Amino acid sequence: MHAYANPTRFLAIARPLTPWLLGGGLLLLMVGAWAGLALVPGDYKQGETARILYVHVPSAWLGMGGWTSLAVAGLVQLVWRHPLAGIAARAIAVPGMLFTALCLATGSIWGKPTWGTWWEWDGRMTSMLVLFFLYAGFIALTRGDEGARAGGALSRGAAVYALVGAINIPIINRSVVWWNSLHQGPSITLRGSSIDGALLWPLGLTLTGFSLLFGAIVLMRMRRIIAENRVTARLRRLADDEEG
Amino acid sequence: MTGVIDGSAQWAYVAAAYGLTALLTAAVLWASWRAMVKAERRSDALRKDRR
Repeated sequence: MHAYANPTRFLAIARPLTPWLLGGGLLLLMVGAWAGLALVPGDYKQGETARILYVHVPSAWLGMGGWTSLAVAGLVQLVWRHPLAGIAARAIAVPGMLFTALCLATGSIWGKPTWGTWWEWDGRMTSMLVLFFLYAGFIALTRGDEGARAGGALSRGAAVYALVGAINIPIINRSVVWWNSLHQGPSITLRGSSIDGALLWPLGLTLTGFSLLFGAIVLMRMRRIIAENRVTARLRRLADDEEG
Repeated sequence: MTGVIDGSAQWAYVAAAYGLTALLTAAVLWASWRAMVKAERRSDALRKDRR
């Protein structure tokens, strides 16, 4: 793992991988969305609105998975001081916030025709909203720590913030079990799924498709940060040469 | 049916959820791609100048 923490080695993998993740993600999403909208039947209880599942559930998983990755990157940065971990954390924040926002928005759109309300201050929705604000706080924090940004590393404060924020992830996961809620209980667990197989398979396609797109966005943002760091370093060297 | 809105009216909510997801995902993808290409072009140009 340490060998790939070198930006040059990382770029040798990231450059060819980005278009594959992008193309594969878009293809799977198109097939999954078509299947979810046109091929599978409506749910016997909720009717057509259950089709929102195919965009809502991947958004929720990627919002939570994004912060988990961000916390791991923060830990790697704190322990091993790899600047690539800091670059990865910075790159994850925006797509993580995007998918958290999409989870909240699509959940709200699903809630209105199903529950009769756009929003309810219950455990699941409130903890997901907290995750959205955690992402916003992390982005604000890392945009402001220019001093620590040399090489893309996170400041110690930002890395600790990422780790502390991870406490919210199990709370989101268990919220529908711990508190009474309008939100349904967990449908997919390690023991299996309560969703019928006829409705479940497009979710595999959209979940994989969104995950590949998430990966493509993270790689693009990491490549941008590395390129900007190189520009800054070269300009600094040029300035030093002129002075010398 | 347990929903408070049923029938064909449900499709408007489905379309809104898919439309919003497509729009925001495409916006972040496009912005990330554009920023990456711009930064890498600048980095490459500076490296060539240096040579």
